[in-house]
Amino acid sequence: MKYSIAILSLCAFPALANVEITGSVEAKCVIQTTKSGSYGNPIASKLSTTPADGGVLPVMRYDVSIADSYVASITHPTSFSSSPSLTDTVAWTGSTSVTQTSVAGMSAYEAAKTVVGNTTNFNLTLAGSTWFSTASSAVYGSAKPLPGGSYTAVVQASCIAK
Amino acid sequence: MLWAFCVSAHEMTPAYPILKPSHVSGVVKVEMSLFNSREEIKYYQIELFDLNWQNIPFSSTYKIITVEYKAHKSFDVYIRKVDLDEAVYLCTTSKVKKTYESSTLISSRICSRLDGMPA
Repeated sequence: MKYSIAILSLCAFPALANVEITGSVEAKCVIQTTKSGSYGNPIASKLSTTPADGGVLPVMRYDVSIADSYVASITHPTSFSSSPSLTDTVAWTGSTSVTQTSVAGMSAYEAAKTVVGNTTNFNLTLAGSTWFSTASSAVYGSAKPLPGGSYTAVVQASCIAK
Repeated sequence: MLWAFCVSAHEMTPAYPILKPSHVSGVVKVEMSLFNSREEIKYYQIELFDLNWQNIPFSSTYKIITVEYKAHKSFDVYIRKVDLDEAVYLCTTSKVKKTYESSTLISSRICSRLDGMPA
């Protein structure tokens, strides 16, 4: 009887097992639109996102999980996606810059950027977050006043696997 | 921690997708996943390019997919084996809506690479 009780009490112990939690980090790029820009109208013939002109610079944040896996490629606009009817040419200028970084070494991105036409490329060699802002300016031909209405242009923010 | 603060983001994985056989002979399948946390965006366009950013033909259930805010969407892309040597970038691009104020809109595009990780 004593032996039976001893055996039964052994069986009453809870079963114990180790459950593993596994995970992996893979190359991933996330584009976050931190701020949509807006055009200021400092003079009748000009629209500009520059704060000094009353505009707001669009800001994009790129988060990359693995270093040296992606290129950020940002294209400033060279046409309006919507606007009132325009009868003259528009002169476009623009540029893209690094404005903030989560890792000190990313500040080198600005000096190493390459510009091809209206596209600026940044080699994202470090993991973490980088903020970019794009300046855009449109001047109507022969300094004519721009027709009244709303104007919209699109900044293309690409993150391309290397 | 970084990712927790993302409030308006476009994300596509994997960066280097694996080509899998499909149910159609001569055609391979790529399984992708898209996450949309851009509240103002609802539609994403799928595109396939070669190294010089020329379009390559492909098939998918929809070329423009609807992805609700804060939703994941899985989608398959079918590529002919004869096009595989040329196909390099598989991209999704957000489709921006027209607005009625003078603004710059941001169209985000994320491209995965079909020819594998860099050596």
